[in-house]
Amino acid sequence: MIRLEHVTKVYEGGTIAAHDVSLDIQKGEFVFLVGVSGSGKSTLIRLMLRDEPVTRGKIWVAGKDITTLPKWKIPYLRRSVGTVFQDYKLLPSKTVGENVAFALEVLGRPRSVIGPQVDQVLDLVGLSDKAARYPRQLSGGEQQRVSVARSFVNRPPIMLCDEPTGNLDPKTSVGIMKLLDRINRTGTTIVMATHDHAIVDAMQRRVVALETGSVVRDEQMGRYEQVQE
Amino acid sequence: MSRVFFLIREAMVNLRRNLLIVAGAVLAVFISLTLAFGALVINEVLRLNTLAWQEGVHVIVFLNDAGTAEVPADAHEALLAEVRSWEEVKDAFYVSKAEAWVEFQEIFEDQEELLKIDPSALPASIRIELVSIELHSSVQFKLEQDTVTVLRVSTASEQIEQLQILSRGLNVLGLGFSIVLGVSAVVLIANTIRLAIYARRDEVEIMKLVGASNWYIRIPFLLEGLIEGLVGALLAVLTVWVVSDRITEATASFAILRLDIGNNFIFTRALIFVLFGAAAGVVGSLLGLSRYLRDSEGTGPEIPTGIV
Repeated sequence: MIRLEHVTKVYEGGTIAAHDVSLDIQKGEFVFLVGVSGSGKSTLIRLMLRDEPVTRGKIWVAGKDITTLPKWKIPYLRRSVGTVFQDYKLLPSKTVGENVAFALEVLGRPRSVIGPQVDQVLDLVGLSDKAARYPRQLSGGEQQRVSVARSFVNRPPIMLCDEPTGNLDPKTSVGIMKLLDRINRTGTTIVMATHDHAIVDAMQRRVVALETGSVVRDEQMGRYEQVQE
Repeated sequence: MSRVFFLIREAMVNLRRNLLIVAGAVLAVFISLTLAFGALVINEVLRLNTLAWQEGVHVIVFLNDAGTAEVPADAHEALLAEVRSWEEVKDAFYVSKAEAWVEFQEIFEDQEELLKIDPSALPASIRIELVSIELHSSVQFKLEQDTVTVLRVSTASEQIEQLQILSRGLNVLGLGFSIVLGVSAVVLIANTIRLAIYARRDEVEIMKLVGASNWYIRIPFLLEGLIEGLVGALLAVLTVWVVSDRITEATASFAILRLDIGNNFIFTRALIFVLFGAAAGVVGSLLGLSRYLRDSEGTGPEIPTGIV
């Protein structure tokens, strides 16, 4: 589903954020990208989203080489990739329902489709009763649930999550992870950057550990701690 | 249909949310186009009046009295016939001493002192309308050769030429003025759109995240610019039209100049100005959007922080 081949990313000023990274992520996998701050986790997420161009190497997402993708085709890539970020990225002026519907509105979906799809996904994240509320009226965990709902409402085959539990307490984080796990079970491939030990250890999924932009460990049913050893 | 509705709604929400910034842009277009349209109307008033002054008598030839030792009795008729034969002359007519006295009395009816002059002192004259005002010097030269019959040649050409120079100057000034003001309107709209994008950067970022195309993001901003330009231009032409109409009405009885330039002129030019306002709005929006949407393939760091 996602393939990185000798990917290197060097930022202006010479900072190497990714160095010769090669990864093969299968359809339906749940992969954690772990490592300390600055290890290159977020950069890899951004590269997979074509938020940044690669310096060297190739990235295939859903069978397409996104490194040679013309700029005008980037929106089409993003329609098949859901994203969840640490800071939720919700629109404060829109209600929960409107925030989720927004993702479908910009794609030009008809209202008759938007309504039921929004209801369905809000039900999935457990926020059906809060559709009319504004983000400021919700807790951090609830806001992140809205963000997850928005990224999943279009039923993308891939979801990229960058520290989705970074702003949440452990108990709320567990709730979000359960939600992501549930989405993963529908066949959605999930790549999640995190430095939350407890979550990675509890989930026991594939772990790709990064250090200064390089992959130092890639194991199935991995744990976070081993990176520290 | 749902897309169109969504885009229009987004543009309207944006206009409502940034009311102060929008008002600034509309005001900029309004002021620029009011001044430019006003200059155009003033120029037209001058052009019409110059034209009006060009119609009628251009050259007056005052004549020595006929039937004297020097001037034969038929000298006036002979000169009139000769003048009428010249190709520069469109029309010419004779004003006798008696007619000159009647005219004099009409002109100076309020000035009794002047009316006490001897009527015989007023010379007869030939009034000449030229094919073109530029020909006055050649006609004047020909007339001045006949020193026997011709007493003095007077032309209105100087004043007309001055008016024409003024009109040409105003044309150039008006054009320059319109260009400068038009450009400033475009820049101000571009600035407004950039401020609007900055104010909505989170929304734009999210639109990009969920896969909205650049054009899809652009359209609400283009609509916003279009509306700002249209409203500003409509207000400008309406203001100039109302003001010019009121001035014409108020001065109808005593104006020296002809101020009524006609609705046809106003409407055709107004249409051009409204179209210009709309185009300025769209171009301004495109300029405001260009740096952001051209350079950026990402979703975050390229949000503009400066203004034009």
